[in-house]
Amino acid sequence: MFGIATESNAALSLLQELGLAESHLSPNLQALAAADSKYLRDLKINVTNALGTETLNKKEAYLLALSVAANEKVTSLQEAFTAQAIANGATDKEVAEVLACTSLLNANNVYYRFRHFMHEEFYNTAQAGIRMSIMANPVLGKEFFELVSLVVSALNGCELCVTSHEKTLVGHGTTKQRIHDAVRLGAVLKSLTALM
Amino acid sequence: MMSNKVLSLGASFPEFNKKAVVSIEKGKEFYDLSYEEIKNSGKWMVMFWWPKDFTFVCPTEIAEFNKHYPDFADRDAVLVGASTDSEFVHVAWRRDHEDLRGLQFPMLADTSKSLATELGILESEEKVAYRATFIVDPQGIVRWVSMYDLNVGRNVKEVLRVLDALQTDELCPCNWQKGEATLNA
Repeated sequence: MFGIATESNAALSLLQELGLAESHLSPNLQALAAADSKYLRDLKINVTNALGTETLNKKEAYLLALSVAANEKVTSLQEAFTAQAIANGATDKEVAEVLACTSLLNANNVYYRFRHFMHEEFYNTAQAGIRMSIMANPVLGKEFFELVSLVVSALNGCELCVTSHEKTLVGHGTTKQRIHDAVRLGAVLKSLTALM
Repeated sequence: MMSNKVLSLGASFPEFNKKAVVSIEKGKEFYDLSYEEIKNSGKWMVMFWWPKDFTFVCPTEIAEFNKHYPDFADRDAVLVGASTDSEFVHVAWRRDHEDLRGLQFPMLADTSKSLATELGILESEEKVAYRATFIVDPQGIVRWVSMYDLNVGRNVKEVLRVLDALQTDELCPCNWQKGEATLNA
């Protein structure tokens, strides 16, 4: 239009937005790009908006994104988000803690989900016996540690975990908008991992 | 006492056919841009106006719009910049100013001021356009208008936020509220 050629490959521009090289173009992304799917541009906008939300600073947004990539086991995204988090001020300790938190929540999500599926006295009163010492004094600060916990729990679908972490966050004074934006970030990035 | 009547929400955007600057390359500078062409493309239109070429606030703001050009394209929106300067002034300004050489959107020359008059965005003293921004949907209906005074710069991210909000319909049945009859899509 107007004698200006502007059509670009939407899949490549999505990868660029994420700081990924062309070599990470997955067969799924390739298939959508080949069909000129409108969804690729929607996805790029969703990802940009989710990461650029006002209630999370860039470091927080990329650390949350990192927890999603780790939870969904997408190495390429995990590397890209780690680099972005560090570029925005995250320390190696904080990055490691996000990974630890994601791992621990994977245990808790399965375990507590079982409890709330069963609603049975024995299981509810049994000792969990899962070490959770990293929750005691997180370098990320308790509030942000809770936020990561909530996002991972939402991804893994544990109702008990989601409602508990949400309640704790509200207790910390976290705004509902920040909680909402963190979960939306998790949801949108999970949709991205489905195509990677 | 003069009263300005700005074309507002729900109105049809007026037809136009004017010279626009699309390049600084010799022989490729000018293009006859009509609203009909934009409307026929089935896309949204974001049209932003500034008072005068060769002034200070403008290049910063125009460069900022240009920086976000791909974001408008991603949202199926045609970005158009406009002022009441002639196409020759536009092209001279683009050649003259470093930040304007790589512009990706057409610069409309409303030299007769007919479009600015129809839009109701002319400042009464100098007859130059206020910093007006219009978002027009693919049906040609004005969906958002913002008017800034001559020396006030705009926030392009806010324009994108509004465009997102206008375009984002929650079509998912998960979003049904109790009491709602059907999903209209």
